[in-house]
Order: sequence, then C-alpha cells, then structure tokens
Amino acid sequence: MRILSKRLVHGLALSLLLCASAHADQLDTIKKKGDLVCGVLGTDEPNSFVDPKTRTIIGYEVDLCKAIAKKIGVKPTIKQLAVAARIPELQQGRVDILAAALTHTREREAVIDFSLTTFVTGQRVMVRKDGGITQLSQLAGKKVVTVRGGTQEPNIRRAVPTVEVVTFETAPQALVALQQRKAVGFVNDEVSLLDAYGKLGPAQKDFVLLDQSISTEALALGLRKNEPALKKSVDDTLRELEQSGEAERLFMFWYGPQSRLKYDKRHFRIESDKLPT
Amino acid sequence: MSIDLSIVLSGEFGQWLLRGFLLSIELTLVTLVLAFPLATVVALLRLSPWKALRGIGFAYVEGIRNVPLLAHLMFWYFGATQLLPEAARTWLYEHDAETICAIVALTLYTAAFMAEDVRSGIRSIPGTQLEAARALGIGYLRSMRLVVLPQAVRIIVPPLISQTLSLWKNTSIATVIGTAELMYQAQRVETATFRGVETFAVTTVAYLAVSCVITLIGVFYQRRYPVRAA
Repeated sequence: MRILSKRLVHGLALSLLLCASAHADQLDTIKKKGDLVCGVLGTDEPNSFVDPKTRTIIGYEVDLCKAIAKKIGVKPTIKQLAVAARIPELQQGRVDILAAALTHTREREAVIDFSLTTFVTGQRVMVRKDGGITQLSQLAGKKVVTVRGGTQEPNIRRAVPTVEVVTFETAPQALVALQQRKAVGFVNDEVSLLDAYGKLGPAQKDFVLLDQSISTEALALGLRKNEPALKKSVDDTLRELEQSGEAERLFMFWYGPQSRLKYDKRHFRIESDKLPT
Repeated sequence: MSIDLSIVLSGEFGQWLLRGFLLSIELTLVTLVLAFPLATVVALLRLSPWKALRGIGFAYVEGIRNVPLLAHLMFWYFGATQLLPEAARTWLYEHDAETICAIVALTLYTAAFMAEDVRSGIRSIPGTQLEAARALGIGYLRSMRLVVLPQAVRIIVPPLISQTLSLWKNTSIATVIGTAELMYQAQRVETATFRGVETFAVTTVAYLAVSCVITLIGVFYQRRYPVRAA
C-alpha cells in the first residue's frame, strides 16, 4: 500500500488540480459553449412534459429555464432525466442546472446549491375510493407506490412509519400501479397528483386525494455547489421575473383557472433561497 | 470528496443493502429451482419424435429468447396481471406481487436458454444409445431417464452454471418493476446518502463476489466430473 500510495497520490492530486482549473467558473463555461443545459423530468405536467402537438418538452420549469438562458445570452437545451438521476447528473456536469421538481432540503444542501424557491407544494396521497381509506393513519401496514429517488418515499415513511413503499422510475408508472390495484395509495407532489387526477377523466370517481399533506415542499432549481456567478445570474433572473409580474403570469398560465389544475391564485412568491427554520 | 464506505455499510443503509442482496440471492435460487425442470421439459419437447411437440418447444424457445428481459418483466408485472381472474389477482396483490412477477419473468426467460443447453447436451449423446435402449424394449421416457440423461448431465451442467451466472446478473433488471432487490436498494441508499461512488462500489463487489463463487463452482464441477468420452 505504501509503495503504491506515493505515485497514486501525486497522480490523483494532479488530476484533481486539472479538474479544478477546468471548471473554474461555470457561468463562463456556459457562455463559451453557448448553451445552458437544463435537466428536467419531462413526465411531470405542467412542470415539464412532452407537448403532444410539437413533441417538444414544455412547461413551467422549462419556461423558467428559457428565461435564465435568455438572461445569460445563450440558447437553452432541455435534457430529460429520471428522478433518481437528477443530483448525480448535476454533480457530474452533464446538466448545468436542474429544473426538475426538485425539493429544497437540508440534506441536499450538503451536496448542491439551490436557487430562489420557484414553487411551493404539499405532498399528498391519492387513494382508491373503494379501499376505504380516508386518513393517513389508515395507510399503516398498507402498500403505497411512488416515484424513486425523490423526497416522496422518506416523507411518507416519516408520516406513516409502518407503511410499505414500492417505487418506480417515473410517476406515471406508479399511477398505473395504483390503477391496477397493486397498492392502496400513490404518493406525490400535490400539483402532480392534481394533474394526474385531472387526466383520469371518467375514472376520477374511483379516486380521491387524502386531505392531509405529508409535507410541504419548497421546489427550487438545483445548481452545482460553489458556483456563485451562475447562482447570482439565476437568482437575478428569477427576481426580475417576480418583479415584472412575469412569474405570476407563468404560474397562471400553467396552473391557473384555464389549466387542468385550476388554482385561483398563487400562494407563494419567488423571493428566498432559504428554507423556513 | 473522500471515499468512506462505512457510510453506506453501517446502520440503516447497510441493512437496506443487505436486504436487497438477500432478495437477489433468493430470486436467483427460486428461479433456478423452477427454471431447470421447465427447461428439461422444453428440451424434451424439442427432441420429441412428434412434430407438434417439437413445434411447441421451438415456439417457446424462440418466442421467449428473442424478447429482451426488460420487456418480459414489464409484461408480467403491468400486463399479464390484468388478464388474471379477479380472485387470483386479488391474491397476488395481497402478497408480494413485485417479487412473484419477477420470479415468473426470470423463470420463463432463463428456462428458454437452459432448454437449449439441455437439448444440445442430450443431442451430444450418440443416437445409437437411444436406439439400443429402445431395441431392448425400454420406452422412450425410460430410455431417456436411464440411458441418455445420466451421460448428458456431465455435458449439460457447465453451460447451466454459466446460465446461472447470467441469471444472477439478470435479477438486477427486476428493479424496474419495484422488486426490492440489490439494485433497487442501492438506488435507495444512493438517493438517501448522495454517496454514489460508495454505494455502487459496494453493489459491484457484491455482484462480483457471487459471480466469482458461481464461476468457481463451474470450474470445480468440470474438474471433478469431466465429460467422459462416449
């Protein structure tokens, strides 16, 4: 080990130095390459989803990403990611920012930075009406499904410690499992659940959302750690969107009365990048 | 970023990985026990003197072997379960549907490959042996059981061991239908700890270790029971 170590350490140190100098400032790199790669889910209407007409990915988070790219003066590139792949892809530099229904959590603060909060949603549980479940506590010992790699699984386990959880790559797969009675409940962000509920059509009568939330999630854009220039650029863009009323307009466009989600007003403002203590 | 294996090996996270590892082993063993007899039946169908039976065996092997395992898993979990009668479906969903569907898909898939190994092993025994047995008045199945199969076993086992190795690795694909095997638990640990390097290093070593054991069993078998010249 000792014989190995000297050369190995030198080699590693050298390569680390090279890496460090290679991405000295991410904002400069983005400007140089001319595009901002945004990691989105693409399966999470209305945050990011495939427009059936144009076959491109559109949505609230996609619009935020486009606004940021415009501010930096580069073109946006939308890249679709699995929920569980979000943070690794960001850390490994395959995407520049995450706009992927990413919950701002203290645990994640240790590995990535967050922009100003861009959305606030609760997480809730959708159940089948004939399952006879009307409260969270009745989920004890029962099986629920959700998407893998998000905050949904830890949150439902915290809310109902004895619940059994099965996870899938995407939220729509988990919804199918609920529809097929493979589980009694489907856990997800409230907005995603409302959207899924809207899509059920006539089958809506068989499903209901439990009233209690299992958590309140502050969603934000994810950034690589210690990239102050890029973070400032992102946060400034978001602040401008808020001040100009564009943020309100975007929310109403994707979530307002004309949309499937039918929110009558916005219950949050884009202003802080701190979690409430 | 320092590497610290103890984070993913100790406490709760270690428990998750261990549980996943044990389920992967269980999937492999149960599938093996179910797939081998099925493979033998299919191989015998393909070698049968009757054309219709040969056709069934052929259709099974080609139909299953030429479709990716991922598609099999999705079909058995999201598709076939919907075709079950109400009572069977309710029973399945009250039990561990994710594991049961994974075992069904893996068994059918593995059996198709094993059937071909069994068939080629049997075919390597000169046909004259079967003819001699039949000439002595022994029936087809009894001739197979008493004369051909005991000789064929030495030829069949080594490729079956390598199919077992494939099976062990294939269990990882069951993660897509929510079967809580090693890959599933590894992703869970990675999400909870943000320790991708450590998590997948441990997972890799676990897969590799079992693979090496299977390979060693193969080597041992071939030394201990070499193929005899006919």
